[in-house]
Amino acid sequence: MFKRYICIILALAVLISGCSTSAKPAEQQDLLTSDWETIVSTAEGTTVNFYMWGGDERINKWVDTYVSSNMKEKYNISVNRVPMDAAEFINKLLGERQVNRENGSIDLLWINGENFKTAREADMLWGPFAEKLPNFNKYVEKEAPDVAFDFGYPVNGYEVPYGKAQFVFTYDSAKVANPPKSAEELLQWVKDNPGKFTYPQAPDFTGSVFIRQVMYEVAAGYESFPEEIDEQRLEGQLEPLWEYLNELKPYLWRKGETYPPDLAVLDQLYADGEILMTMCYHPTRTAGLVEQGLFPKTSQTMVWEKGTIGNTHFLAIPFNASNKAGAMVVADFLESPEAQISKYDPLKWGDLLGIDINKMEKEYQDQVADIPLGEASLPASVLAAHRVPEIPAGYIPWIEEAWYKEVARGVGN
Amino acid sequence: MRSLILKKSTWLPYLMLSPVLFILGAFFIGGILLAFLQSLGYFPIIGLEKFTLIYYKEVITSPDFMAALGHSFYICVVSTLISTVIGVYLAYYIAGLSHKNKGIDFLYKIPIAVPHIVAALMIVFMVSQGGIIARLVMKMGFISEPNQFPSLIYSKNAIGIILIYIWKEVPFITLMVYTVMANIQKNLGEVALTLGASKRQVFYHVILPLSTPAIMSASVIVFAYSFGAFEIPYLLGATYPRTLPVWAYLNYISPDLTNRPIAMVISMIITVLAIIMVWLYTASLKKLVRYKL
Repeated sequence: MFKRYICIILALAVLISGCSTSAKPAEQQDLLTSDWETIVSTAEGTTVNFYMWGGDERINKWVDTYVSSNMKEKYNISVNRVPMDAAEFINKLLGERQVNRENGSIDLLWINGENFKTAREADMLWGPFAEKLPNFNKYVEKEAPDVAFDFGYPVNGYEVPYGKAQFVFTYDSAKVANPPKSAEELLQWVKDNPGKFTYPQAPDFTGSVFIRQVMYEVAAGYESFPEEIDEQRLEGQLEPLWEYLNELKPYLWRKGETYPPDLAVLDQLYADGEILMTMCYHPTRTAGLVEQGLFPKTSQTMVWEKGTIGNTHFLAIPFNASNKAGAMVVADFLESPEAQISKYDPLKWGDLLGIDINKMEKEYQDQVADIPLGEASLPASVLAAHRVPEIPAGYIPWIEEAWYKEVARGVGN
Repeated sequence: MRSLILKKSTWLPYLMLSPVLFILGAFFIGGILLAFLQSLGYFPIIGLEKFTLIYYKEVITSPDFMAALGHSFYICVVSTLISTVIGVYLAYYIAGLSHKNKGIDFLYKIPIAVPHIVAALMIVFMVSQGGIIARLVMKMGFISEPNQFPSLIYSKNAIGIILIYIWKEVPFITLMVYTVMANIQKNLGEVALTLGASKRQVFYHVILPLSTPAIMSASVIVFAYSFGAFEIPYLLGATYPRTLPVWAYLNYISPDLTNRPIAMVISMIITVLAIIMVWLYTASLKKLVRYKL
């Protein structure tokens, strides 16, 4: 089915690019040299097509209400949210890049990690625009490693931080008295409670980060992954990881014969009480789900003693965005303390701040401190003290494929 | 003048059809052509410009290939056979009703209108281990924990997937076969009955052989569809093995663009296999009909 979609897109793109003579790139490039007032006035009255992952209703609602109404009020800009998985909009852009379509349908992207790397390598992003945004200059710690690098790949102003995430485990404290706080303890716990734990299959985002989380403890930490991939060395390096996961396998939900296809299914299993732990890359998501009555009230989140993986997610503008000025103004608003604080509220989204709290004015800092994070959440200081960075993006598809061969397909299959 | 008019009648239909032909040509043929080029490793955007068969070799020699092929085949054959048998029987039953029953007529057509995604959701609600049936069975005390209920979705036996296909395909086959059967029933069926044939004989020796072409074309359509369909196995399939279309899709969405030719190789293989299997299926059914009936 998807093959056909993309072919249709490609064919359409061919047709469209064949018909239109090359547009006016000059005007677009000018934006990088014009001042902020000009950009804002250019953007007035336009519509920004914001392509973003649409799998969380709370996030969608936040964009559709808070962001939309503020942009309309402050800048007379309409925000059109388009839900699409990153992998899909990357493919869409790739099709447009192949035929050099000038007036693309995407203005602003929510992106990070391997997709950013892919987009940069195929020259699919516009910029560097970061330093054009006043709020970026004012509130972002530009040299911080998790802002200057995205999964080890240099950002170079082609995207601006939108928020941060950190991997946490969720458990039901009524049923799990001593939750496992390391890979070793987890193995023991799963053996003692067979069938009560599992993780989503790679390449699901959450399943993939769980595999890396275990990898840090049983095989190799983030320090041992240089930018250049040496496959032979990597194979040896990851041996203990596959051993660990295969040892875990027979004690997993359904004896490890199959894995939940994605986080939604994992959460469903947890909500139904089939398993006693779930996991997520959003530290306050559990509190939100408890609040909504979807998770048991006794749910708690935790991090492992040696830390859990954290990353930053970003906003970027495609090379062929039709409304680059509008995209910049929306991005700038999303970098503002007001938007960041609103986003930090677990009732709205619960995303960690993408900007630096120490650079905010005192009143904003107080507002952050006043937001109740919910019973199930860990305080920001605990999270920050237990945050370890991601590995370079290029490794991730490699590890996901290796997981499939070594663990999912498994010995004897 | 006359010759011009004659000519017009030959080219006019093509002219009228040209928008459709154009879309078919540009999108469908064009799409397959692009996929074929990429499967040969021609993908200039990431610097692949040499034609090679290396990706075909990689896919065919991978242990995943036989597993995926077998799994796709299993789902497809089982669901098609079962839906054909049920669909034909249902068509026979409806054709045999003395009055057109509007209720049945309406009911059996419902699944045709329901999208596969919705059907998938229904199946999850019904037959998952936390689903309605499992809960009922648990309430009645047959099982004490949800995981004692047999796993039908996300499982290697793919029963959930097969159930959805059967649910969707039975009405389709019924619809295709019913009209033909009703006709035969009314004319030849009644003749055979008055000549002393039993109902059973009428079914096996008159109605079934005569409606075979309709049955065949209906089941070939669902066969080819379920072999190439992606969404249900993607949503409800096991981690391992996966079907060919799911395998292709996962390669396709991989952020590692060098996997793209692999995705296209798998897609080409699906296309070719679907064509071959439809041909085989038709040929073997024809034989079967000739000897047995």
